[in-house]
Amino acid sequence: MTAAEQLRARARYRRLGIQAVLVIVTALAVWGAVTNAQYNLTRLNMTSGFAFLDRGTGWNYSFSLVERSINDPYSYTLFIGLLNTLFVGFICIITTTIFGFLIGTLRDARHPALNFAASVYVQIFRNIPLILQAIFLYAILIHLGGPRQAVSFGDVAFLSGRGVMLPGLNVTPTVAVAILLASLGLGIGLILARTTLWRGLAIWFGGSVAMALFAALVLRPEGEGILSIPVLQGLRFSGGISVPIELFALITSITLYGSAYVAEIVRGGLAQVPRGLVEAGQALGLSRVSIWSRIKVPMALRSIIPPLGNQWIFMMKATTIGIAIGFSDLFYITVNAISQSGQTLELILLLMLTFLAINYSIAIFTNWLNARLKLKEH
Amino acid sequence: MTKFLAVGAILAASLAAPQMAAAQSETVKQIEERGTLLCSGHNGSYFGFVEVNDNNEWKGLDIDLCRALTTAILGDPDKNQIVPLSWAQRFPALQSGDVDLIIKATGWTMGRDTEQGLQFSLPYFFGGAQLMAHGDLGVTEAAELAGGTICVEAGTTIERLVANYLQTENIEHSMVSYESAAELRSAYLANRCDAFAAWGPFLAVLRATEIDNPDAHVILGDQLSAEPIAAAMRQGDEAFVDVVNWMLAALLIAEEEGITSANVDEMAATPPNPRVARLLGAEPGMGERLGMRDSWAREMIAAVGNFGEIYDRNLGKDSPYKLERGLNNLWSHGGVLYAPILD
Repeated sequence: MTAAEQLRARARYRRLGIQAVLVIVTALAVWGAVTNAQYNLTRLNMTSGFAFLDRGTGWNYSFSLVERSINDPYSYTLFIGLLNTLFVGFICIITTTIFGFLIGTLRDARHPALNFAASVYVQIFRNIPLILQAIFLYAILIHLGGPRQAVSFGDVAFLSGRGVMLPGLNVTPTVAVAILLASLGLGIGLILARTTLWRGLAIWFGGSVAMALFAALVLRPEGEGILSIPVLQGLRFSGGISVPIELFALITSITLYGSAYVAEIVRGGLAQVPRGLVEAGQALGLSRVSIWSRIKVPMALRSIIPPLGNQWIFMMKATTIGIAIGFSDLFYITVNAISQSGQTLELILLLMLTFLAINYSIAIFTNWLNARLKLKEH
Repeated sequence: MTKFLAVGAILAASLAAPQMAAAQSETVKQIEERGTLLCSGHNGSYFGFVEVNDNNEWKGLDIDLCRALTTAILGDPDKNQIVPLSWAQRFPALQSGDVDLIIKATGWTMGRDTEQGLQFSLPYFFGGAQLMAHGDLGVTEAAELAGGTICVEAGTTIERLVANYLQTENIEHSMVSYESAAELRSAYLANRCDAFAAWGPFLAVLRATEIDNPDAHVILGDQLSAEPIAAAMRQGDEAFVDVVNWMLAALLIAEEEGITSANVDEMAATPPNPRVARLLGAEPGMGERLGMRDSWAREMIAAVGNFGEIYDRNLGKDSPYKLERGLNNLWSHGGVLYAPILD
């Protein structure tokens, strides 16, 4: 063996040794934490394990997309919390992305008034903590008064301190969720089929509306119209879609806050598009809209997607402020379950694993999107 | 030889045992050495029970019971220290010795009695979950809340009681629960919900003082539960439980017998019957059996009055809250409070 080979071999052993030590130390730390927790739980006579998941909860909460009762076991109640978090998270991701693109484009615009308005928006909403904005908005909204004092919009939609009442299709909540899922499936199918953006959007929108109308026609209760309009009855409105004020406040505040960040990401992306490309478009006589949609946005997307993915993950985590305003998201349900069942470690573990799974999925999706949009020539 | 000594020691110990039973409790011994009784306060004011007045002094029903116990043990109502504790802190603080006992609107539950290693005194107060609604709704009982929204504090026993009750009565409703009591109160006042579910006495006090126009709110007739409120102590010092129980018993007996802070000395000088004589230490027995002074009950009543006086001063007719005594009256006046037999 030459001297050089000996040195190389020694370096390899050293590397392996360091890795092995690291693995052992990590394993010891994990083992220590687990046994320590077990010892202390036994010492304090506390029961551990997941048996409580099958017990009925006995308490109610503010919002659920599906049927629920106070007899539901903890597992089902936590599942409803997960649905609520995903529901709010995805709505916020969509609204934030749309508003963010709009405001980011305005920030990039040459029109001084629009530019200024967009800057003011970004500075205000980006620099006030989200939880403060949510509590502030919620406090304003609940002071609108009860259903009897509701603000009416043409007698079909109402806004009160209890919630927003909208006219809706005459279907049960379960059917509504099924329609949403089908619409989501259609969207994913179109992305996988690699249809062009505008065509895909048109098919998705048209298809979703057609599906919803069809479902309402077929599944509506006997002898009732397709549309259900909210009507004041006793202490509350019945009919239509009722959006509880907590849900409305949560989505609005997360959207306002997140849009400011997305706007900055979009502005940064647009600013990186080489001037030469824009000038080339102008030389070809393309309209400003065409330059924006066919040159600037496609080029900018490459630098926008990775930070935008981070922002989407943040939106999902931001749903946990629901607890501050009484919205039953996964975090709220978990915290309440901890108070009521006392199974702190198990519930926190479930919560962490769930968020890890959700956000890791978003990260994988973002990476896939990024890879797909990358310039192939590079 | 050593064997003899050991046997002798065991014999001596077993002979001494009957006297040991009457000996002082460990906790009382510590309190006497320290010269102060450590009682539980609140992180803020829990009106009527544990509250801070404008002069930064503690007052309330539970504080007066602490003062009564201080007088019984140390002979001076002011030799106590009120340790401010949140609801969540109270049991860990008791277990770690930061307070000697908890007298703070604390319900006697099975979990606390067993898993949490506590023991409870005789219940001295009964209060249950109730609902308060906005007056303009014109409702008087829970059944009329059908279709309405009810607010409640998240993670509490009240939350489960209300859910359970409304399901039993088949009252359709929506429920919004908040993590913070302040958030809950402001949501109710902002009319986010039609009704507010909480501990009855707390609602009454809130309605009487904290709300601008008490007549605009109605406490509904439904009694969702009746929780026995008792003092909580660490498991293992039975003698201390005896002291606290007889402190409460003495206050109730004094009310039954018409002994007040004003006439206690007179009653002690010329007791109308043997029970009063024993209670006020005119006859021996009251102190020795608890390892305390014979005159402890007399001094205590002179300092804080009987149970009725304490109630009236803090919650009843002499307080801003004007709460009826209801269940919290002597058994002979239609309530459920009674004292064990003083023999």
